[in-house]
Amino acid sequence: MFAIETHELTRRFGERIAVDKLTLQIPAGRVFGFLGPNGAGKTTTVRMLAGLIAPSSGTAHVAGCEIGRQSDAVRRAVGLLTETPGLYDKLTAQQNLVFFGQLYDLTRMAAIQQAHTYLQLLGLWERRDDLVGGFSKGMRQKLAIARALLHNPQVVFLDEPTSGLDPEAARTVRDSVRALRDQGRTVFLTTHNLNEVEELCDLVAVFRGRLVALGAPDELRTRLFGHGTIVRMAGAAAPWVTTAQALPFVRKADAYQDTLTVAIDDPERYNPELVRVLAAAGAPIRYVEALAHSLEDVYLELVGNPEERAQ
Amino acid sequence: MKILAMLWKEWLELRRERSLLVSLFLPPILLTLMPIGIMVALRNSPDEDTSKLGMALADPTLAGMNAIDLGQAVLGKQFSLLMLLTPVLLSGIIAAYSIVGEKTGRTLEPLLATPVKTWELLLAKCLTALIPSVTAAWASAALFAIGIGMTANSPRVVAAILSPAWTTVLIFCSPSLALIAIAMCVAISSRVNDPRTAQQITAVAIIPLMGVFFAQMAGVLVLNVPLALTAALVLAVIAAGSLWAAVQLFQRETILTRWK
Repeated sequence: MFAIETHELTRRFGERIAVDKLTLQIPAGRVFGFLGPNGAGKTTTVRMLAGLIAPSSGTAHVAGCEIGRQSDAVRRAVGLLTETPGLYDKLTAQQNLVFFGQLYDLTRMAAIQQAHTYLQLLGLWERRDDLVGGFSKGMRQKLAIARALLHNPQVVFLDEPTSGLDPEAARTVRDSVRALRDQGRTVFLTTHNLNEVEELCDLVAVFRGRLVALGAPDELRTRLFGHGTIVRMAGAAAPWVTTAQALPFVRKADAYQDTLTVAIDDPERYNPELVRVLAAAGAPIRYVEALAHSLEDVYLELVGNPEERAQ
Repeated sequence: MKILAMLWKEWLELRRERSLLVSLFLPPILLTLMPIGIMVALRNSPDEDTSKLGMALADPTLAGMNAIDLGQAVLGKQFSLLMLLTPVLLSGIIAAYSIVGEKTGRTLEPLLATPVKTWELLLAKCLTALIPSVTAAWASAALFAIGIGMTANSPRVVAAILSPAWTTVLIFCSPSLALIAIAMCVAISSRVNDPRTAQQITAVAIIPLMGVFFAQMAGVLVLNVPLALTAALVLAVIAAGSLWAAVQLFQRETILTRWK
């Protein structure tokens, strides 16, 4: 079952197309990373999926409800952490949560209970009766996250959830995201923190007005850079390029100083043979490791090259 | 339930906004105390020229009064009409703060992300502004009536100022006037970024009231019960129309995507 499913979802503002024919399917219980440069249309997409604005064309279902037609049901089923925390400064932390809880159809008692749960979980319990106007940026962010989770939504949209948080608070938020996934909820994470995406996301989309790429982080890495093996030598690696290239499973081999980089489609299968051949030829191998491209490499490659690679 | 929650939130916020509270309490206090002070002054130094005013000549309830009674009655009647400014001014201030405040505090998007319906949101905003402004108007009118009773030179002055027409206007026209101001504020607030701009434009709602004030002073208009009831009916229709228009103009999506 898909928690979020869109088909050619499009949003125009006058002549400008902010979101162009976005088609994607996000299975329930996954953490989905939505990446893209500033102004790419990420916020517009989130606003459409959270039932805040209607699409110009196309369709989307969130938690089984159709956006545009069942906006109230969509809003009830999702939690949204907006770009800015958007809290009432003249209200205390608990009053903010209880107020929003009631807007999400919780009774006052249930809203108070949920507020207590999340104030404790996010380390704000001691400050629950303080006015939010006196809170730090990190505390506001944590309170806004609590607000997004208060009504136990099936789908949670988090826009830069760890922005402005200290490392400890950021860790708490990441743990909360994992906990949400473990509970079977779907998290739609918009962030520029690629390490966070790498750590948390099962599925990633790179978006720039249109969908540029979609897949699991490893899939994207493989799609863009392929698999490879790095062989470190005790000396120059250049003499062993020819030996490696002679092997039928090697697509390409390059040397730089003491490093031999070998492109192989199935390293797990062919690495033993590669190492055996190189060692037999007298290569002074110090150690062997997998060629790893970071998600940042993937992102920069995709955003630097807007050509679609999605489908 | 949601409306009550929103009212609770709005009043908590209002209670903690000291500068706003000062601007809320000051106008009714001034409009109550000023006429009482002037009534006392007039009792000691009557103005002979008052009898030449159009109002003194046109209003039958003022016929045959001596200079002190006439001076107090004319002044009291004018101020009694100005009491109607209270609901317009106060509701405009509260509504502007309440709606534009969501914009400036960047709380609108999380608010609109909840399953709250537009009519629930606007009804809560309207009641937030309506209830305290009309309560303040009626409370200050009650104090005004007590003050007039204590400072009037004769029972005829009291009867002329606190007439059934005035009571009718106060009870039936005040809420409608407040609602018109709120509706204007909702419509304007959807398009401006500063509560002061919304308040200033909403102040236009005072103009018809000032027209009645000057017409009465000139003797062109004499307020009586049938006229007061007709005015109340007309204002109620205008208020309903204004609120309907305000709800139509309050487009969640436009506000969300255009407010910066």
